Amino acid sequence: MVSGGSDSNSHLFLPQSLTTSFQSCLPHNIFLNVWGDGINCWQALSQSDGRWRYSSNNPESSTFAAGIALEALSGVVSLASSEIDQFMIGAVKNDIVKLFDSIEKYDDGTFYFDEKLVNMREQQGPLATTSSVVRGLTAFSSVITESLNLPGDKILGIAKFFLGIGIPGDTKNFFDQVDLLACLENNRVSIPLILSLPSTVISLTKKDSLKVKVNTVLGSHAPPLTVTLVRAFSSSARDNSIIENQELKFDPQDAVYFLDDLPASFDVGEYIFVFKMLVQDSEQQTVYATGTLTQVPIYVTGLIKIENAKIAVLDSDLGSVETQKKLDLAGESTVSVSANHLQKLRLSFQMSTPLGNAFKPHQAFLRLRHETKVEHTFVVGSSGKKFEITLDFLGLVEKFFYLSGRYDIQLTVGDAVMENSLLREIGYVELDLPEPPENASRPPPQPVDPYTRYGPKAEITHIFRAPEKRPPEELSLAFLVLTILPLFGFIIGLLRLGVNLKNFPTSAVPATFAVIFHLGIAAVLLLYVLFWLKLDLFTTLKTLCFLGVFLMVVGHRTLSHLASASAKLKSA
Amino acid sequence: MAKLLLYLTLATSLIPLFSVAFSPENPTDRRVLVLVDDFAIKSSHSLYFGSLTSRGFQLEFKLADDPNIGLQRYGQYLYDALVLFCPSVERFGGSIDVASIVDFVDSGHDLIVAADSNASDLIREVATECGVDFDEDPAAMVIDHINYAVSNFDGDHTLIASDDFIKADAPVLFQGIGHSLNPANSLVLKVLSASSSAYSANPKSKLSNPPSLTGSAISLVSVVQARNNARILITGSLSMFSNRFFRSGVQKAGSSIKHEKSGNEQFLTEISKWVFHERGHLKAVNVRHHKVGESDEPAIYRINDDLEYSVEIYEWSGTSWEPYVSDDVQVQFYMMSPYVLKTLSTDQKGHYSAEFKVPDVYGVFQFKVEYQRLGYTSLSLSKQIPVRPYRHNEYERFLPAAYPYYGSAFSMMAGFFIFTIVHLYSK
Repeated sequence: MVSGGSDSNSHLFLPQSLTTSFQSCLPHNIFLNVWGDGINCWQALSQSDGRWRYSSNNPESSTFAAGIALEALSGVVSLASSEIDQFMIGAVKNDIVKLFDSIEKYDDGTFYFDEKLVNMREQQGPLATTSSVVRGLTAFSSVITESLNLPGDKILGIAKFFLGIGIPGDTKNFFDQVDLLACLENNRVSIPLILSLPSTVISLTKKDSLKVKVNTVLGSHAPPLTVTLVRAFSSSARDNSIIENQELKFDPQDAVYFLDDLPASFDVGEYIFVFKMLVQDSEQQTVYATGTLTQVPIYVTGLIKIENAKIAVLDSDLGSVETQKKLDLAGESTVSVSANHLQKLRLSFQMSTPLGNAFKPHQAFLRLRHETKVEHTFVVGSSGKKFEITLDFLGLVEKFFYLSGRYDIQLTVGDAVMENSLLREIGYVELDLPEPPENASRPPPQPVDPYTRYGPKAEITHIFRAPEKRPPEELSLAFLVLTILPLFGFIIGLLRLGVNLKNFPTSAVPATFAVIFHLGIAAVLLLYVLFWLKLDLFTTLKTLCFLGVFLMVVGHRTLSHLASASAKLKSA
Repeated sequence: MAKLLLYLTLATSLIPLFSVAFSPENPTDRRVLVLVDDFAIKSSHSLYFGSLTSRGFQLEFKLADDPNIGLQRYGQYLYDALVLFCPSVERFGGSIDVASIVDFVDSGHDLIVAADSNASDLIREVATECGVDFDEDPAAMVIDHINYAVSNFDGDHTLIASDDFIKADAPVLFQGIGHSLNPANSLVLKVLSASSSAYSANPKSKLSNPPSLTGSAISLVSVVQARNNARILITGSLSMFSNRFFRSGVQKAGSSIKHEKSGNEQFLTEISKWVFHERGHLKAVNVRHHKVGESDEPAIYRINDDLEYSVEIYEWSGTSWEPYVSDDVQVQFYMMSPYVLKTLSTDQKGHYSAEFKVPDVYGVFQFKVEYQRLGYTSLSLSKQIPVRPYRHNEYERFLPAAYPYYGSAFSMMAGFFIFTIVHLYSK
């Protein structure tokens, strides 16, 4: 709802609801206030530079708001058609012209509206702003009777800006773009006509012809036009125009304008074609915006002849040819030559365009690649049609890092207008260079193939120390037998000596003690064996203590009995 | 090895993840800061950004010279990854500069840098810090007269169709500057390199000296994986990410096959999965070692023990940890140099184990697993364990060489026993 008029605290001006709400069931005489309200809002919110404020509270003026306002005013005008004040319309038209002063442009001729507001939280980008302005002024121009005099090149510039952004990914941007193009497609201000070429690359071998299309922004047909190729010149020789003022013929079937035949003197290369279009019907000339001159860069491509290719090895001092071989650059054959550091290698060939003129390609490289993958690249120089490069190995010995061996030769010739750019392995040269001196520079390290850089390492198993050599077991067994032999010898000896057990005590008690004594000795010896087998010293000593005390007691008894027995015998 | 080729060269696709933050449990990045030159890029590259948001990333778009941008606040990093789509920025706004970007990467976060033919010195400096050198000539672009994409509008052969890698449905379109890698740098990898007929030069001017970058030394897209597993993607063409290239068809010069859609979308989606740690991220857990036959981990081993070492390795699939299966994980038993290096055998479910004998050298050893494979994060595990020599009672107990001595001692004892009996009681 418009809540303006005499109330100076106008709220936000909402154009959509303005028209819809008034088209509802209000009686006729209320509509008269629409015009009054409209004028009051215009006076309150429009600024002198053509922009509008969002509300009287907000001092900032915005181009986007101006667009919305124009749309609303067009609604007002269409509703209140009987009350229109021509002075007001004229003032609004002036405002629109002033608004166009704030248009911004890029160098390539595109125009757009943009704004940077401080107080608004979300900036309307250039797409939304321009779209709203164009919507507003096309709506306004459709309701007034006079025409708005707007500069046609600026409308064309706006159309080119919107066509140049491609398809935006954001849905709001896409909507703004399509909306604006729809407004420009058919409006009363000026309809921009776009000149485009389906292809800017013309091939002489395929005998392409130059085609030009002229359409409105959304692709509909343009009215009958005359399209003239004003000038065509090579981008390297701008003053020399090859074609001048050639009118293009119209093919009604495809709706294209085409140039029948390029003149015979059209060689391969980069050109700039300048077009101009003019609406045939002079009355409609103001309706359409055609712009002035359109410059289009064109590439004319063709097959370049490469012939007479030779590779030769020359003697440095005399310059005489030692070996010379012909190269077949179109085929697959390779040649091999050999040279040493006192000689020179010369590669030469001739290039010419389809029309026989000299041609200098952008890329003419000769590359020598050593077996260790060290590469050296040289530019093949030219004079006219002849291309030649001479590699003097005497001066290049240091550059080649003194690496002798086989060098693969690769020739690359290419250009944007060459349809048969080539990369050819010509063959190899066996180069014999002197030994490097001590302080020669090393060749740069070559990149390592990444797939071989990481890989499992070789397994390592620890080699254990070999155990010390031990004498063979049989030797130990032999000596074991040898050590036990004396025991048997001792027993045999004792038996030979006639030992006996006659002195063994006969009475019970001393006999028991004697037996226990010997058992005790046997127990100690057994303890020693157990100690050797598995016991530790502490338990052994503990047991030995007890056994020892016991043995001492028993032994004392036995031995004293034996001693007294023998004393009795001696005294008797 | 075929599996590794597959992974790095953009074969499989993975599913997005749904967790909250960047952490060792969920290594995929979440919050991404995208710095652009102007917001039109948000719209003209919306397919690429859409593919990122559909996988769960939270993108924040800021202008590169916005004075309010910053990577960290109060010592905490606000973002997990940074995307620089601002080739012509002269000076970053806010608290971002080359040093802070390098610190960001050093702390383990990921980075994508896209330059273009009007790349500023600042972006070149960022790339140099990452190990990649762009062509110094500011007007140079990569030109290839043999592998260019046939186009009715770009007649100067700067639009290159590259299919220098395996398993892509269509060639990838590239238009921009090239860079070269230092061959001594082992962390950097060329993902898409130019063909041998390519060179980097200004298309508008003639060449008098051979250009510094020619042939397949020119890299179009490279990746860097730093030692802390931060990943960086560097490319010289911002338009490679644009909707226009995503949608356009490709026809390589000299071939009659016309592809409906270029391989850009597939290529860039897969490689950004790798850069943001949705693929190729490994973790090793549960390192255990014990003597064969026992199950608890001893604090010290003895020489010539048989021991078993086991580890579990998992790979992040984008949403969960899947067992990692490979046949070339190796463990080293290391003290100044590896004494034992053994390949771990796997049970196909991510559990790797190996058995070996402890060497007969004593000292303090380490169980080291250094696993570095192309395209995977590097695993570097190390566990220290001492090794002692034999105790006095662990040697051989009874030596055959000592039998004579045993014999002599026991025969002595037997002789003594007999002697006591005989001596006392014989007459």
